[in-house]
Amino acid sequence: MNRLGWAGVLRRAVLIAAGLAWLVPIYLLVVNAVRPSAAFTGTNEWTLPSSFGLFENVATAEQASGLAGSLASTALYSIVSPALAVVIGALAGFGVSVLQPRRPFFWFMVAFGGAVFPAQMLLVPLFVAYAQLNLYNTPQGLVIVYTALSVPLAALVLRNFFGGVPPHLFQAAQIDGASLWTTFWRIYMPVAWSALVAVFILEFTFIWNDLLFGLTLASSNSVRPVMPALASLQSAYGGSTIPVVLAGGIVASLPPVVVFLAAQRFFARGLTLSQVAEA
Amino acid sequence: MARVRLAPRSPKPQVAKPLATAPFIAPAVLVVVALMYLPFLYSVYISFTSYNGLGAPRWDGIANYVQLFHDPEMADAIRNTAVWVAGGVVVPVVLGLGLAVLTYGMRHGPWYRLPFLLPYAMSGAGIAVIWGFILQPGGAFGDILKLLGIPGSSTAWLSYWPDSTLAMVVASAWQATGVNCLLFVVGLQAVPVAVLEAAEIDGAKAFTKFVRVTLPLLRPMTIVVVGLAIVGTLKTFDIVWVMTQGGPGYTSTTLATAMYSQTFVANSYGYGAAIAVLLTVVTGLASATYLKQQVQVGAAKR
Repeated sequence: MNRLGWAGVLRRAVLIAAGLAWLVPIYLLVVNAVRPSAAFTGTNEWTLPSSFGLFENVATAEQASGLAGSLASTALYSIVSPALAVVIGALAGFGVSVLQPRRPFFWFMVAFGGAVFPAQMLLVPLFVAYAQLNLYNTPQGLVIVYTALSVPLAALVLRNFFGGVPPHLFQAAQIDGASLWTTFWRIYMPVAWSALVAVFILEFTFIWNDLLFGLTLASSNSVRPVMPALASLQSAYGGSTIPVVLAGGIVASLPPVVVFLAAQRFFARGLTLSQVAEA
Repeated sequence: MARVRLAPRSPKPQVAKPLATAPFIAPAVLVVVALMYLPFLYSVYISFTSYNGLGAPRWDGIANYVQLFHDPEMADAIRNTAVWVAGGVVVPVVLGLGLAVLTYGMRHGPWYRLPFLLPYAMSGAGIAVIWGFILQPGGAFGDILKLLGIPGSSTAWLSYWPDSTLAMVVASAWQATGVNCLLFVVGLQAVPVAVLEAAEIDGAKAFTKFVRVTLPLLRPMTIVVVGLAIVGTLKTFDIVWVMTQGGPGYTSTTLATAMYSQTFVANSYGYGAAIAVLLTVVTGLASATYLKQQVQVGAAKR
């Protein structure tokens, strides 16, 4: 390591020290979520657990806040809603940038504009309307709201993506007599595969991690998403021990972290907007 | 169905009739209008009424907005939101920039960055659970202070302001630093290597090179990162709601948590909607001012 020189060694030392400091909260999370609830004394949080209590802690968390039901419904919301939103956004992106209606930019801005409203502006009306339409505390109600929240980003990315597709692709399909639907589903959707996946994963993460809408629009253990469930587990009234709360935190956090890290390479590819032009 | 054309006639042919286009655009427009535009307008209306969720909203003029300026809870919410914006812009952006510059172009750079990226995909609620545990009186954070000989090892960080808000800003910085670093790395990739090498050949010291060459070239990405930090921290909700619910009392509340507790805990829908409108206006003004200023500075430099 002579080649590095003092500056290089110092730089690496600083980075490694900072990286280790950053990992301390994760170490504490894992060690104490694995520690059996009864073995947690309040002062032994740094030591490695002597036995493996993670599953037991998760089971206790499940009893306290219905974590399993929340996980299942969260999985449903964060898969179905982005899937719907990606299709709806792709339809709009195709309509706006390939079919070129009159005033395409206006229609695009209508679809995308929803993204600028803070969530707080939507809560009261959605809560009131959901109560009246019997959508409050129903899975379909949450799927609908998460789909709507995901449409603007999908429309933005897919509009830009389809805008970069050479127009002769569309003309060739027309000459071959393909209908607009066929052109969309059989030619444009497959071409946009990596962009669709990138948007899907971003929105999967966003919905999985949502607290605010789940808190507002659902109440029962089986419908409420996992983050509001975790929040209730954490609250002082929950009466759960720290290993139980942390075990709940791990179970609730793991899916988006794993998906996000595994899918990193898609972002570089899928969000490069005009890559099709080279294909 | 459009007729077959053998050669494109104009550069921008209208390729489909409006009726053929409508089914493609309509779903997105309908969903967004029904679940975002209409609720937005209804919130504006509700903010001028007195409404507790039962019966009908009663027109109340600007009473809710007048109350905003006399409510000590709002004073705290505005103060804390300002602290969040300042802390959220300074701490994770500076740390992210430092890490990006230190690791850029280094062998195994992505591995050095990985620890900082791990918290990024975690939820605010998850962050709150971890840090709520670490910040307990006599908890892990206290142990570290004790080890370093710094007083405060048995402080109940979340029980008093301003410790509570500052501690939560730190928790949020732990999450946000990694993605800022990643964005700065993307920004650095746009800087021509030749420029940095030229600076080195001219004998620029590392620090001079950073201030005079790297930072100005990173400007476009810095604008994005700081802009995202401002808009994101103005709407801070999850971490505060799970860690303190805005308490004790309302001392650590933010605009977003005050809106939620006024609406769904105190059942003052009209007042909650007025806070939401205030939050919208503040976010809009901050974004517009920021962008305008950045454009002016950018133009002046040219």
